Amino acid sequence: MIWEVFRQENAGDYHEHCGNVHAPDREMALMFAEVQHARRKPTNSLWVAPKDEIGEVDTEDAKFGGTTDKSYRWAVTYDFEAAASEVEESTDEQAEADRRRKVQQEKQEAQGGD
Amino acid sequence: MDIEEVKRRAGPREFSPKDDLPEEYRKAATRMIQFHANSEIMGAYLERPFIREAPSLDRKLACSAKVQDEIGHGQLLYRAAESLGLKTRDEMLDELANGEGKFLNCFHYPMESWVETPMIAFFVDGAAMRRQATLKRTSWEPYAHAMDKVCFEEGFHVKHGEAILHELMTGSKKEQEMTQEAFEVWWPRIIQFFGPTNDKSTHHGFASEVGLKQMGNDELRTAFLNAYIPKAEKYGLEIPDEPRIRKNDDGTYEVVEEDLDWDEFFTIAKNDYDGSHQQINGRQKAQEAVDWVREVLDEHEAREFGSTQQQAAD
Repeated sequence: MIWEVFRQENAGDYHEHCGNVHAPDREMALMFAEVQHARRKPTNSLWVAPKDEIGEVDTEDAKFGGTTDKSYRWAVTYDFEAAASEVEESTDEQAEADRRRKVQQEKQEAQGGD
Repeated sequence: MDIEEVKRRAGPREFSPKDDLPEEYRKAATRMIQFHANSEIMGAYLERPFIREAPSLDRKLACSAKVQDEIGHGQLLYRAAESLGLKTRDEMLDELANGEGKFLNCFHYPMESWVETPMIAFFVDGAAMRRQATLKRTSWEPYAHAMDKVCFEEGFHVKHGEAILHELMTGSKKEQEMTQEAFEVWWPRIIQFFGPTNDKSTHHGFASEVGLKQMGNDELRTAFLNAYIPKAEKYGLEIPDEPRIRKNDDGTYEVVEEDLDWDEFFTIAKNDYDGSHQQINGRQKAQEAVDWVREVLDEHEAREFGSTQQQAAD
C-alpha cells in the first residue's frame, strides 16, 4: 500500500507534501516516513494518508482561476496607495501569486504549442 | 496541559488539535472564532443586495467576488472553531440562525444605499483587516492558518472599497453629500468596532494571556485611526465632531467614550437591536431555504460511506 507523506518543518507551519512510502499499515508508514523523509530535513511533525484516499483535480481537467478575465478580484487592479501595512502586504502577496500564475500559464501554453 | 502551562507557552501558532488543552482555553477560542465566523457570514449577507444594486458591471463582478470570499472565510473559520472539539459547524450555524450566535456590531445595522457600501468595504473591512493581521500570530494554529488565507484575499476588499469611496467623492456634489451623510452615520459604529477600552472588555484579559488575542482594543483602534483618518480626509470626508478624538503627543488616539452610545452597543451585543432581529431573521430564512441541500448531502454521504456519522454538510 502506498502512503503519501506530508512534512511540517516547524510547529505552526503547514504540512507540505514531500513524497510517499510503501508500507503495509499506518504505523509502519509513519515509521518509514520518519526514516525516509525526516532523517536529515528539520521536522516537527509528519502526516501519512493512504494514496487512494487522496482526490486530485489538475490542469488537464480544470482551468484554475476560471476562463474569463477576473482582474476585478485582484487588489493590484485598484491603483491606490495602501491604507495600512497589512493592506500593502496582502496586495504584494496577490501580485506575487498573479505573477507566478501568469508564468505558469505561459509555460502551459508553450507546452501545448509543441 | 493545565492553564498555567498554556499561559507559559502561549505564543504564535503554539497549540494545535493534537495538544491536550484545558476546557477554559477551548471555550475562549471557540467563542472568539465562532464570533469571527458568524461576522463573516453576516457581513456577506449585508452586502449581498448590493451585487444587484451595483452601478456598473465591474462593480457587480467585484461585489459578487467579495461576497463569495466572505462566505468562504466563514467556512474556513467554522472549521478552525470545530477543530477545538466543543461545537460542530451545524451547532454554530443553528446558533446563528436562532439568535444565540454573536457577531460584529457593524453588521447589525441595515444598509440601504450604495453610498454606504464603502463604509463597510473600506472602513469596516480596513478595521477588520487590522485586527486579522495581528491574528496571524494567534496561539491556535488552525485559526492562524485561516488568517493567512483571509488576509491574502482581504487586500482586494479594502482596495475595492477605497475605489468606490474615491469614485463617490469625485462624483457629483449630490453624491459627495450623500457619502458624507453616510459617513457621519457610520463613523461612531466604526469606532465602536474595537469595543470599549481594554479595562471594560470582559474577555480581553484571558484571551491575551493564552495568546489567542495578540493586540488590545486600544492599540488596534489607534493603529486604525492612524491609517484611516488621513485616508478619509484625503477623499474630502469631514470627520464628525463627535465622538471627540484627541491625539496624544505619543501618536496614540483617545476617543471620548461618553460621546458614543454604549447602550446601543450593548443592546447589539445581546442581539436585541431592531437591526439585529432583521439581520438574524434574514439569515434564518436563508438557512431554512437551503435545508434540503444539506439533507441531500448528508444522505449521499451516509449512502456512500455507510455511516450514520453525518459530516459533509454538518
